[in-house]
Amino acid sequence: MTAIDSAIRAAAAQIELIGVTKAYDAKTVVIPPMDVVLRPGEFTVILGPSGCGKSTLLQMIAGLERVSGGKIILGGREVQDLEPKHRGCAMVFQNYALYPHMTVAENMAYSLKVAGVSKPDRALRVATVAKMLGLADYLERKPGQLSGGQRQRVAIGRAIIREPGVLLFDEPLSNLDAQLRHDMRIELADLHRRIGATSVFVTHDQVEAMTLADRILILNKGRVEQFDTPKVIYHHPASVFVAKFIGAPPMNILDVTGDGTALRLADGQAVARSTRTGRFQLGIRPEDVAAGPGGPITATIRYREDLGSHEIIEADLCGQQLRIATPFGAEIDASSTLSLSFPTVRLHLFDGETGMAIADAFEEPQAVRQSVKVHL
Amino acid sequence: MRSDSSLFSNRWLPILLVTPLMLLIVLFFYVPVFQAFYWSFFLEQPFGGSSEFVGLDNFRRVLSDPEFWKAGARTIVFMLSASSLAVALPLILAIAADRKIRLSLPARNVLVWPKGVAGASIGVVFAFIFNPFVGLMAPLNQMFPGIWAPGIDGTDAFLTLVMAHVWSGIPFNFVILLAGLRSIPHTMYQAAAMDGAGPWRRILDVQLPLIMPQLFLTLVLEFTESITSAFALIDTITGGGPGGSTTLLVYKIYVDGFRGYDLSGASTQTAILMVFVLALAACQFAFIGRRINYER
Repeated sequence: MTAIDSAIRAAAAQIELIGVTKAYDAKTVVIPPMDVVLRPGEFTVILGPSGCGKSTLLQMIAGLERVSGGKIILGGREVQDLEPKHRGCAMVFQNYALYPHMTVAENMAYSLKVAGVSKPDRALRVATVAKMLGLADYLERKPGQLSGGQRQRVAIGRAIIREPGVLLFDEPLSNLDAQLRHDMRIELADLHRRIGATSVFVTHDQVEAMTLADRILILNKGRVEQFDTPKVIYHHPASVFVAKFIGAPPMNILDVTGDGTALRLADGQAVARSTRTGRFQLGIRPEDVAAGPGGPITATIRYREDLGSHEIIEADLCGQQLRIATPFGAEIDASSTLSLSFPTVRLHLFDGETGMAIADAFEEPQAVRQSVKVHL
Repeated sequence: MRSDSSLFSNRWLPILLVTPLMLLIVLFFYVPVFQAFYWSFFLEQPFGGSSEFVGLDNFRRVLSDPEFWKAGARTIVFMLSASSLAVALPLILAIAADRKIRLSLPARNVLVWPKGVAGASIGVVFAFIFNPFVGLMAPLNQMFPGIWAPGIDGTDAFLTLVMAHVWSGIPFNFVILLAGLRSIPHTMYQAAAMDGAGPWRRILDVQLPLIMPQLFLTLVLEFTESITSAFALIDTITGGGPGGSTTLLVYKIYVDGFRGYDLSGASTQTAILMVFVLALAACQFAFIGRRINYER
C-alpha cells in the first residue's frame, strides 16, 4: 500500500438490512422485506435483470429513495430516516452525473466545499485523488472535454474523495464500450483493494458480477435468489433463475421426467440415471456437455458459431434448445445429428414446479466434486 | 449555389420556397426601418408632399429636447425594473413547479394562459384591477384615502405599468425556464444530494448554472421587449399620464408622430431607439452570452 492509498483509505462500514421493503402501494411491492448483511470491506455485486429492484435497493441504501419499512444499519448507525449526506455513503452513477459547468477539480471537490473544507485542504485532497486515478493532467478541463473512461474516473474520484465508509455503484460501466469496460473492471477491482470501502455494485452484467464480486446477491423480482461467492453461485446455483443468469452462454435447462430408473425427455430418451420420480428441470452448462461419437443422447444440430478458440453449437434435443460449447481445439463433425453424453457430476437438478435446486441430486463421489474445473 | 442535400438538388426550389417569407420580412420590416432612418434626415410635411433634406437637424432638435431625455430615462428605469422582475418571478415559479410541490401541475397550465391575451386586453384588465375606486386597492384607499391614486400619482401609475408588464411576461419566460429546468437530468440532483448539497445549495450550484442559456434568452428578449412592447399597456392603462410620468420613449414616438404630426421627430427618435436596442442586445451577447457554457 502506497502513501496515497493510506491517505485515502476509509474505515469500511458494515451494511445491514433488516426487513427492508419498498412498496409504492399495496399491490406494487418492488422489494418484499429483505434481510441481508454486507460485511465491512466486502465487494458485493447486486445482480439481476432490469426491473428486479436492484437500483431501488441501492438508492434506499444511499438515501435517495425512502424505505417503506425495515431498518438500514450502516456502521452500527440506524440511517433509514437520515438524509443522504448524513449516511456516509458515496455513489457513482450510470451516466456519471458530473456537473457540466464545473471543472474536473471542482467536480471532485464539490462535496468537500459543501462540507466547509478549507480551500487548501480541498486542493490537497483533489491532488491526491487525481494522482491515484491518473487525472492529474485534466483537473482544469470540463467534463464535456473528457472521454467516457476519463469521465468515469472523475465520477469515481468524486465518490472516494470524502473517504466514504460505503461506496455505491449504479451500473457504472454500462455506458462504456467493451474494451474500456474490461479495463475499468480491472481498475475498479484494484481500487477496491486499495481503498477497502464496503462496496455495493449494481449491474445486470454477469461477467462484471463474476469478476468483481466477493459475493454476488442475485435479485429476482425484489427477492434474494442467492447470495454467495461467484464460485458457489456458478457451480451450485440455488435455482433455475440463477442457473440461467450466470454463465455465457447460459446453462441449458431441460424439462425431464423421472420414472424411478432414469430422467427422460418427452420422447423417452434417458439423459441421466436417477431413482427419483416426477417432473424436474435438468441443468447442464454448455461447456459440460460432452459431444462425440458413442454418446447415448442424440440431438440435431441447428446452428454452429465458430469463435476460433471454441465452437458454440446450438442443437435441438427433443424439441428443446441445447447449447454446447466445444472444448479448445476439438473438431466436431459437421453432420446434422450429434451424439452427446451428460457427465453426471456436471448435472444440476431443479424442482419442476418451484425451480429450486435439489441438493445432492446425483450421488457424486466427494473427490470428483473437489476437482470441478473452474470456468471463467 | 450548391447544396449537399440530394433532396434539394434543384437550385431554384430553395429560393422559391424562401421567397414569400423574405418578401414579407423585407416589405414589412426592412423597408419601414430604412424609411425611418431615411426620414430622420428630412423635414416631412405632416400631410404629405415635398420634403426637405435637413441633414442632422432632426437629431440636434430631438437630443436638445428635455422631454426626450426624460422619456429615455423612464424607458431605462422601466426596462431595468420590469424586465428583471419579469424574469425573476417566472424563475421562482418555474423552480417551484419543477420541484413538484403541491398543485404544481395545474399551476403549470394556468400560468401559460396569459400568453394568449393581447397586450391591449391586459391593459384594459389591469386598468380595472388597479382602479382606485373599484379595483383591488379600493379597500386600501378606504382605510388610507389617497394612498393609491394612479390617476394623479405618477409613481402609482408607473407601478401599475410595471406590474401589468411583469404579469404579461410570466407565461413565456416561465415556459422557457421550466423547459430548461426539466432538461437537467434527475441524477444531477441525486449526485448533488449525495455530495451533501441541500435544496437551496442545489438551486444555486446546479440549477441556476445549468439554465444559464435559458436565463440569458429570457433576459435578452425581456430587455428588448420591455422597450418596445410597453406601448399597448401604456395606451390602455395610463395614456402616458399623469403628467407624462408614464410616457416611455416608444409612447412618445407615437404621440409626437400621430398626435403632434411631427413625423420627422418621430422618425428620428425611432432611429435612436432602434440603435439603442440593437446596441443593448449586442452588449448582452458580448458580455454575458460568450461566457455561457452551452454544453450539457
